[in-house]
Amino acid sequence: MFRLQGSKVLAVDMTGDAVKAKNGSMVAYDGQMAFKKMSGGGEGVRGMVTRRLTGEQMTVMEVKGHGTCWFADRASEINLVNLQGDKLYVESSNLLATDAGLRTGTSFTGLRGASQGNGLFTTTVEGHGQAAIMSDGPAVLLRVSSQYPLVVDPGAYIAHQGNVRQSFQSGVTFRTFMGEGGGEAFQIRFEGDGLVYVQPSERNTIAGDA
Amino acid sequence: MTVSAYGSPGGPVVHDPMTLPADDNVNSYTFCVELKGSQWFLQKGKMIAYYGSIDFNGIGHGRLDRLVRTSFHSPLHASDWVVAEGSGKMLLADRAFDVNSYDLDDGNLTIRSGNLLAFQPSLSLKQSIVPGFLTLIGTGKFVAASNGPVAFMEPPIRVDPQALVGWADCPSPCHHYDHGYMTGVMGGLRAMTGIGGTSGEEHQFEFVGAGTVLLQSSEALMAELATGAVPHEPGVPGSGGAPGHQGQHGQQAGSPRLPGQLGDLQRRFGL
Repeated sequence: MFRLQGSKVLAVDMTGDAVKAKNGSMVAYDGQMAFKKMSGGGEGVRGMVTRRLTGEQMTVMEVKGHGTCWFADRASEINLVNLQGDKLYVESSNLLATDAGLRTGTSFTGLRGASQGNGLFTTTVEGHGQAAIMSDGPAVLLRVSSQYPLVVDPGAYIAHQGNVRQSFQSGVTFRTFMGEGGGEAFQIRFEGDGLVYVQPSERNTIAGDA
Repeated sequence: MTVSAYGSPGGPVVHDPMTLPADDNVNSYTFCVELKGSQWFLQKGKMIAYYGSIDFNGIGHGRLDRLVRTSFHSPLHASDWVVAEGSGKMLLADRAFDVNSYDLDDGNLTIRSGNLLAFQPSLSLKQSIVPGFLTLIGTGKFVAASNGPVAFMEPPIRVDPQALVGWADCPSPCHHYDHGYMTGVMGGLRAMTGIGGTSGEEHQFEFVGAGTVLLQSSEALMAELATGAVPHEPGVPGSGGAPGHQGQHGQQAGSPRLPGQLGDLQRRFGL
């Protein structure tokens, strides 16, 4: 059972079950806990190889026991996500913890990933349970529906869930090269039905100032 | 806990174009602007997401030239700004700093250049005489970021330079040095020898007159934005233009010169 204690600390109450969490993110625990590092993001040999190949490296530990364990990472804001059989796409650097029952994997993001400076691949979390994702500043959840497509700056995007198509749109014109670009040269457009998480801060992206 | 697939009662708040506020804060760190065929100026790269159809164009490109003339009087740094136009709702944020909107009613406000995020074209933006600051004049709304919530103070007041965000309605801003301390026995010794260090609060900004002073609650500065170069002319602060008499100018950099300080001996002997 995940709950937030303040907005920057995740508390997980466990009764013999397990969670997967970012390596080294435990800040305190009470009760009996065992921490086991999992190679390859806990996805076995296949995961180890794909994560190495895709650059979506993620050092994960499995925490198991009875009691409460608290997680935090560099005072990032933490957002809880409930998954009911749907898929969450999140950058591995933004993923703090997941229920052990959730499957994690990698997926190809194409140009979107390239524009974010986070590599061409992203991490997926799938199944029934809870996950905790991190953001720089409290994340804003935006709904994407058929009548309301959403456009997001790649630097502010952190995660999305649901049945959403994403496409990459570029506002690069000859003016960009003359130094008079619109400042938002690369954008990701989301269409379909789902949720997008954006953070009130922008990572440095390749096209940051274009 | 029963949870529906996307967004849930009891879960975190999910926003869509209907529930997003119009020209108001979504939370302390995110501001939502509603565009209805209207325009806003914004600093490059501060838009994090939008619904609807909005175009972003660099200022100074053909069609928008008129705007630059009417509400953008500092073409010198126009390249840091873009015009958003269209209809929809747009979210603005800046490095997870607090953002707030302010309404000016036929007023004026001077703000540190790095703190201004966006403003309505009904305001006109000018470069302040004080280097690194911008002045907004007119009627309209603007959005500014600060490190921590903003406190509004009435002059007369002395403030720490790092905590100053801006000021409105023309109080007179000037430097203030804690002369009494710096020339006193202890302070003087410390200033001369550098032994013992300083409290770091000897230099303040002083505001007198009627108006409001805006302070941020942290002394961590936001990155300065280049406000563009001012013309190289004598009499223009910050221009580096040669003043009438060259001799006095070299002393202005760095710490203030106190009478009787060692440094002055050098100058007196012409070294």
